[in-house]
This record gives sequence, C-alpha cells and structure tokens, in this order.
Amino acid sequence: MKRVFIIFLFSLLFIASVVTIKNSYKEGRETALVYGTEVTEIPELLHEAALFSRSHLALDYKDMPVDPSKERNLDSYYKNRAFHGAPPSIPHVISDERNMGGKNCLSCHQNGGFVQKFDAYAPVVPHPEKINCRQCHVPQNEKNLFKPTEFPKLSAPNIHNKALISSPPVIPHQLQLHENCLACHAGPSAPMEIRVSHPERVNCRQCHALNNKETLDIGDFTR
Amino acid sequence: MFTKRVTPRREFLKKMAIMAAVSTATAMFPGILFAEEQERNLPKGSGDMEWKKAPCRFCGVGCGVLVGISEGKAVAVKGDPKSPVNKGLCCVKGYHSVMSMYGKDRLRHPLVKRNGRYEKTTMKEALDLIASKMKETIKDHGKDSVSIYGSGQWTIPDGYVASKLFKGCIGTNNVEANARLCMASAVTGFLTTFGSDEPMGCYEDIDHADVFILWGNNMAEMHPVLFSRLLDQRLKRGVKIIDFATRTTRTSAAADKSILFNPQTDLAVANSICYEIIKNGWVNHSFVEKHCNFNTGKTDIGYGLEDGFKFKDKGTPSSLKAFEKFLEDYAPEKVEKMSGVSAKDIKYMAALYGDPNKKIMSLWCMGMNQHTRGTWINNLVYNIHLLTGKISTPGNSPFSLTGQPSACGTVREVGTLTHKLPHGVVMNKKHREFAAKIWDVPVENIPAKPSNHTVEMFRALDSGDIKFMWIQVTNPMVTMPKLNRYRDATKKEGRFIVVSDIYPTPTTDIADVILPSAMWIEREGMYGNSERRTQYFEQMVQPPGEAMSDTWQLVEVAKRLGFEKQFYYKEETHIEEIYNEYRRHHEGKKHNMAPLEVLKAQPGAQWPYVDGKSTQWRFNAKYDPACTKEGFDFYGKKDGRAIIWERPYEPAPEEPDAEYPFWLNTGRVIEHWHSGSMTRRIPVLHRAVPKAYVELNPGDAKKMGVKNGDKIRLTSRRGTIVLDASVDERGIPTPGQVFVPFFDESLLINELTLDAYCPISKQPDYKKCAVKVEKV
Amino acid sequence: MSIISYLAYPTKGKRAELIEKLEAIETCEVVPSKNHELLIVVSETNNKEEEEAFKNLVNELESLDLLSMVSGFDTNGNELKGE
Repeated sequence: MKRVFIIFLFSLLFIASVVTIKNSYKEGRETALVYGTEVTEIPELLHEAALFSRSHLALDYKDMPVDPSKERNLDSYYKNRAFHGAPPSIPHVISDERNMGGKNCLSCHQNGGFVQKFDAYAPVVPHPEKINCRQCHVPQNEKNLFKPTEFPKLSAPNIHNKALISSPPVIPHQLQLHENCLACHAGPSAPMEIRVSHPERVNCRQCHALNNKETLDIGDFTR
Repeated sequence: MFTKRVTPRREFLKKMAIMAAVSTATAMFPGILFAEEQERNLPKGSGDMEWKKAPCRFCGVGCGVLVGISEGKAVAVKGDPKSPVNKGLCCVKGYHSVMSMYGKDRLRHPLVKRNGRYEKTTMKEALDLIASKMKETIKDHGKDSVSIYGSGQWTIPDGYVASKLFKGCIGTNNVEANARLCMASAVTGFLTTFGSDEPMGCYEDIDHADVFILWGNNMAEMHPVLFSRLLDQRLKRGVKIIDFATRTTRTSAAADKSILFNPQTDLAVANSICYEIIKNGWVNHSFVEKHCNFNTGKTDIGYGLEDGFKFKDKGTPSSLKAFEKFLEDYAPEKVEKMSGVSAKDIKYMAALYGDPNKKIMSLWCMGMNQHTRGTWINNLVYNIHLLTGKISTPGNSPFSLTGQPSACGTVREVGTLTHKLPHGVVMNKKHREFAAKIWDVPVENIPAKPSNHTVEMFRALDSGDIKFMWIQVTNPMVTMPKLNRYRDATKKEGRFIVVSDIYPTPTTDIADVILPSAMWIEREGMYGNSERRTQYFEQMVQPPGEAMSDTWQLVEVAKRLGFEKQFYYKEETHIEEIYNEYRRHHEGKKHNMAPLEVLKAQPGAQWPYVDGKSTQWRFNAKYDPACTKEGFDFYGKKDGRAIIWERPYEPAPEEPDAEYPFWLNTGRVIEHWHSGSMTRRIPVLHRAVPKAYVELNPGDAKKMGVKNGDKIRLTSRRGTIVLDASVDERGIPTPGQVFVPFFDESLLINELTLDAYCPISKQPDYKKCAVKVEKV
Repeated sequence: MSIISYLAYPTKGKRAELIEKLEAIETCEVVPSKNHELLIVVSETNNKEEEEAFKNLVNELESLDLLSMVSGFDTNGNELKGE
C-alpha cells in the first residue's frame, strides 16, 4: 500500500511537472507577442541634464596651472565652426576611419589633457555619451571649395555681454548638446577668453543666465 | 573673470588693409566704386534669432530641425528637442543644411537654350514656352509623348499637382520619380506580402527591441541619427547590434558582431534562417495559422536588360509543408559555401530571430532594395518575422528605411509612379473613378494601363516614343545606371527637356529650359518620412531672384494648358488648398492624413491619423483603429492574412569573370547626400570629402601593389573611370569587390553601372556589376 | 600671421572667372570694383607656408593678369610693408 502511495505520489509529481513545463513553454512562446510597454513620453534633451557632470573635477580645475604657450583663443575656436553653434570640424589627422568614438576619439576628448603628437591640449567633449562622433564632426581634407558660397556667417557674440558693468556675463549660446559648462569653460584646453576664473563655483547658472530665445521672438516684455 | 578678448584687432587690421587698397585704387582711377563692405547686407549680431521648425532637407529619417532665422537669412540649425524622431540630435549634414541654399551659383533666373547657348529670360516667358512646347508635342505625337520625372525630394504638393496634371488632366501615366531607383523594391515587398505599403512599425520600436539586425545597411553613415538611438539603447539596456553586410564599415566597427556575405547571397542566407527556424521548432504556429498564407511565385524571372522587357508576377497558394520542402536546399551547411557566411553564423542569426524572449528589429535600405531580386529579399525578411510572429508589436519590427525626405510622403503616398494614384492604382476602375471625381476630370482621362517606369522612360526617350520630359528636384545625369546611354538619349534631335533645379548640374547641362526652383524653407510644403510621419514647414526666407516653388511652376503651366478649373488654387493659400484636396483621397481609417493645423502645431503626425491620434503600429488591433479583427489584421489583403513567399536564390545578371574579375558596389558617404549638388556646396562637407575614390580590399590591394592614393582605372562593359585608391580607410569591401561613392559629378561611377532591375519593382541594382581593376 | 592686401587686374574678359577662383581660396577675401576691371584681394594667412601656398595658387590663375601688393600687417602688431 505504502509503495502504491509512493508511486502515486511520484506519478502525480511527474504529471504536475509535465504540465508546468508545458505551460511555461507555452508562455515562453507567447512572450514574443507580449505587447511592449505603454507609449512613452518623449524625453526632451534636458538642458540641465549634464550641467554638473564634470563638477566633481571642479577643485582640480581650480588648481590647474595655465600653460600660456599652448592656450587656445576664441578666434581659432570659431574658425573651426561653420556658424556659431555648429559642430566643430576635426582639425587633425585621424588614425582610424571606421572607429566609433568610444574606442578612439574619447581616449583624448573625454577628459582632455596634453597630446604630445599634436602639441596641444585636447578639448573636452560636453556629450561623451554620444559615441558616433563622426555623425556630426568631420575632418577637413581640402582647402578649396567646390563652388563659392554666400552663406551669411554671423560673427559670434561678443564676450562683453554684461548688462551692468558689475553683473555676470550672460550665456550667449544654445545649450543643446553643450549644457556641460566646465567641458569648454575650464581646463587648459578652454579658449583663454572664455575660461572661467572660478570653476569651483560649479552651479554656473546660478549667476549666468541664458540670453537666447528658444523659438519665437516675442520682443521685449511689456504688460 | 574672463580675460580680455583680443580678436577684434585682426578684423581691424583687415579693414585697414582694405582701406589702404581702396585709397590706392582711388588715386589710380578717380571715381572707382567698390562693392560696399561685404558684410553690410549680412545680418548683425546673433542674439536675436528666431527658431522655426522644419523637417530636415536631407534623408528619409526626417529629423525635426529648428532653423535660426536672422534678418531674412537662415543662419543656424539645431535639432528640435520636441521631435520624437531625433530628440534634438542631428548629423553633420543636418547641422549645416541651411548652407546648401547659399551657394554662389544658385540659379536665379530661367535659362532657355537657343542655338546651343543659354539665354536668360523671364519666368513668364519660360513657362509660356514650356506650355506651348507641351501642347505642340501632344498634338504631333500624342499624350504619351510627354512625361514628368520627379523625386522623393518633391514636397507632397509638388507630387500631387504633377500627378493631377499628367494623369488626370493631360491623360498620360508617364509620371515617375527617382524613388523608383531607391525604394521601389520596398514598395513591392510590402504590397506582395501585406497588400499595403509602408512600415507597420515606427522608430519607437528602437526603444523596445533587444536585437537589431542590419541587412546591408551602413546605418552609422547613412541613417546616423537613428543609429545613435541604437547606440544609446545599447548603453542603457545592453541591446545587440548585428551588422550583416558585404563591406566592413563604421557600422561594423560599432556592431556587436559583423557578418560578411558574398554579393547576392543574402537571398540564400535569409532562406537558411527560415530553414533553421522551422528545423528547431521556433515557428510561432498559432500566429502562422491565424494570420498567414503561403505562396509560390514565378522563378527565373529575368533582369530587364532588354528594351521593352515585360514581367508580371503571379502567386499560387502553397502550404507550410511545401515551404519546408522548398527550404531543403538552404541548410546552413549548403549555404555556407555559396555565401561565405559560416553555418555557425547563420544558426546564430536564426537563433536570435527564433528566441521567443527577444524582441527583434530588422533594418535595411539600399542594400536590399537596389537588388535585381529586391522584391524577393524584402519578402524573405518578412518571412522570418512572420514565421516567428515577431511583427507589428513594439520592438518586433521589420523596418524598411528610406533615403529621401519624402520618398514615402510624396512618391509612395501621393503615388507619383506610373501605375499609382493617390489612392490605389490606375489598373483598378474604382480607383480611377475615385481619383477622377476629386480631380474634377472625366474618368476616361486616366489611362488604365501603366506606361513607362523610370528605366523604360529613359529608354523611350532614346527610342523617340517620349519627346518631352520635365525633370524636377533630381539629377538623373548623375544617378541613372548605364549613364552614357541615357545621356546620349537626352541629346537626340527632337527631344525637349525641362529641368527645374537650384544649381547647375550635369542634368541642367542637357536641358532646353532651366527653371530656378525655390528649395525647402524658401517655400511652404510637407515631407513624409520612413515612419509614416508627415511634417510641415513654413516659408522662412525668400527664394533668390525669380526662383519659384516646383508646385507653383506646375500650376502655372497647367493653367496655360487650359486646366484653370482643376488648378483653381490661389497663390497665397495654394499649399493649404492642395493639401486639403489631397487628404480627401486618403479618407478612412486605413490611411487618414492629419489636418494641416495639427501638422503646423506639432513635429509631424503619423498616418493613419484617426480621432486625433497618430497610429504607431499598424495591423495590430491594440494600436490600429483600422483593424476589424482581434489581435492582428493584415487588412491590406482581403482575408486579413500576410503572405509567406517561396523565393529562391538566383544569381546576379552580371557576375565577375576572367575579364571583369571584381564586383562593383556603389553608395554614399555620411558627408554627402544623393548626387552631391547640395552637400558639395556646403564648405564643411566638401572639404571633408572633396572627391570620389575607390575602396579596395587590403588583400587585393597588396596583390596588385596598390597603395592608398594610387590611381586606379575601373572598367566595366559600359564605361571606364580613373579614381584614387582608398585602402583600409572608411570601408573595406570583401575580397574581390570594390566600392565607389556616387556623389561626384566629375567622377561619374554610374557610367559603369548596369541598368538591370528587379522585374517586379523595376528598381535597378547599383550594388552589383562586374569591373576590371587596373593600377594606372 | 599676416594680412596683406593687393590690387588684382584680371585678364581681359575673365573678371567673373577670376572672382570665382579667388573666392574659392579659403585664405582670401575679394572686394571687386563695380565700375573698373580691378579687384581688391586680402589674404589672411597663419604662417609663411600658408602665405607661400596662397601665392602659388594665385600665380597659377590664368584669369589673373597682374597682382600688386598694397599693404600688409602681421597680426602681432608690426606693419610689414606699406605704400
């Protein structure tokens, strides 16, 4: 009797396991058809997202000595861009034409530093998470143009853009993709005219406001 | 504080230098005048910029951009953070796109060829001449002697009025567009499998999928913004990217796995994947039983190389059992030899598709479409998704990408192809009646038979059946395959060619009348991108000189031809009137287009736009209001079932042999777009890639003693060209293959390519022909 | 770094061509006269090599008849030459 019971118990267990396996297998088949998550809201490129991303280096920036012989200036900075706000072109030779930035560009441009080969400090990219660098940045392999152009290149905003003689300068450029202030405004690769004297203050936009209009110009504010 | 700025000194010195020269010149030639300081007319400062939204001018991804307008000029671009397509990011072409409007050699006035020389004329005279020439040609040679060749860069109103004028009013089906060369196979792929064109999914699939398989698609360069979304997902969720291609590219470098195959053998590999899926029991039987039919098609279908080639496909019902039998020839071990893809890799891909817990997205573009079996390979990839039931749900998505901003919106949806109408096809009486009613023309006007597809249209120009051709927004004298023949055709006696463009190109060189066009944001219009998204843009700047939108050029000519009643539009509101009229063709749950107010207010809307909502996933009752069944409803087919097609491997028409031992593959680079007439006039882009080159496999190069930069002569049975060698740079073709980009109008690789096409889609194969490679 | 201005005389009938060719050169700017066959050309170069390269480019232009230097500065402040 005891034996029968054990056999019965085991066969019950066996049947149960077969059923369970079958069900879970079936469910496994079904998952391919499981609907995805609900339609998500589009996360906008947050202007604030990377604001503090280099701020843990702020004290290092403060103590960093300046190397005047290798300083960049705004002139060469803007020369490298088709217009104020355009992605800069690549002013040096590139070792690998098929690379993705993660393996190559970022080795110098993530944190900057002196590059013997080019005798210069590498500028720091404000958006290191975008690794298909050459999607936007291209080298310049030719001096001449295909045909002359009449593109009206505006002169970049003057750095003397304080409202009062004593007030902090405003931010005259778009923040999209360069919301990380310290990447361009601190360290030895920052153009000398726009290098901040107080990188340790970190919360830049506490004092520096945007002055550019996002979409439609509504003119001066009146009641 | 900031240190003081030193730059103005340089500008100051420059002015001093100019002043010195001016005073010297004045001393020599009293009364001499100089163009006032050049910057005088330029906008000043840059704080006061207005940002206006538009879809990007270039590829079919359809990124939302914000254009910075200052004092009537477009001076800057950034990505539109509100656009669900690109979420604020652009590529290098997008960022510099506005510069394409400011080339110094913009066409500003019409030019008419008289006695072999171009003479400047007024727009009125040029349009008069075109209309009278059209009348005369129709009178002497019949309706089918006039034709229009447009573009996937046509805005929706451009294509709509072209179709209405030629098909509805004049009464000829000689309406074609360059999208025939770019995505016709995708269309026939959709129609044969689902009976309804355009992807069922959308870009948001990228945010849900676990695995991405790129079929011959160098996405890192060709659809970079979407590729960045893939890379982003990999950072966040660890998704897998598999690059399946004939060339090692940046995409391969970024992918988790790069699998290379021999040209044309994608057909065999796709079948082999199905073989593995069935063999391993990965078929989703409940899905296949409920939602699929099996068909066999014709085989040995030819390549369209002969003039007047005709082919009509026919499917006969089949079964899963027969399909299994058909696949027996495609065991991975057998396919391995032919394709160069190891059986292990085939099984690996099959396992990814077969894994019921992985959501998978297949992406492709020209690699599969420009293929003499383009329709077939499209069918085959759908087979894989249908067998496993991975379709029409978020993240499970076979996705056909497009290359032009409105290939979908204008060519496919408006239907500017010889067999198409805005709703339906010319062969269908009901469809003709429906279109004729909205167009306000007698139904007899619209011929029931399609006439010439693109290649045949140029052949007809050669034979003289077509005497008049109007080419708008495209550059066929760079992009037609077997170019020498078709260029000669245009130059024959008694042909009259009108070209509407913005710059002089090799195509304006063969024109009898050149019309200056207003491009992109110099006029008002809409584009439709790859994910069924229609996007509107307003006019933001003035076009140069007498330049006029392509829409209005056509309307003006239509009026001159006596169709004032049908072309009743007012100049100030014509875009709105045309769009509202066009929407009537698509009324109903399957294809409703969003009203113009919606398009103006938001970064586009996806059709079917029903009850104020875009449809993201079609054929799925949960998302698509047009479904009439629970679960899935492939309502393009009468019984709501998609078709799994038996499509065998067949060889390419011209394969390498002893005399011409290399495959020639052509394509693009990230910096240049289409025939380069816009991007080459953008200094940043031209300087990045100033001219075409030929990529060789490093092994082949070594054997031939070729170094980077050496001169190489390529020769095919149709033409010859000398280019610089590129070894181990941007891309590495597989051994025995060379690659040349086609953007360079002074190094025309299409003089070498073959005009063989897919007999079903009539799309030529630019990726495969045989060439000889010699060091010069 | 130097900024030099020149007066350029085009070959007869090739004024337009000369302007186009010169404008295609990155390091130079052109101010054409409205009523005489004469252009002002300003070159802006970063070093001796670039200056040489510019001169070589210009010398090769068929549409250029004569080029005469008027005034030059280097951007560090010293006037180089004057007339």
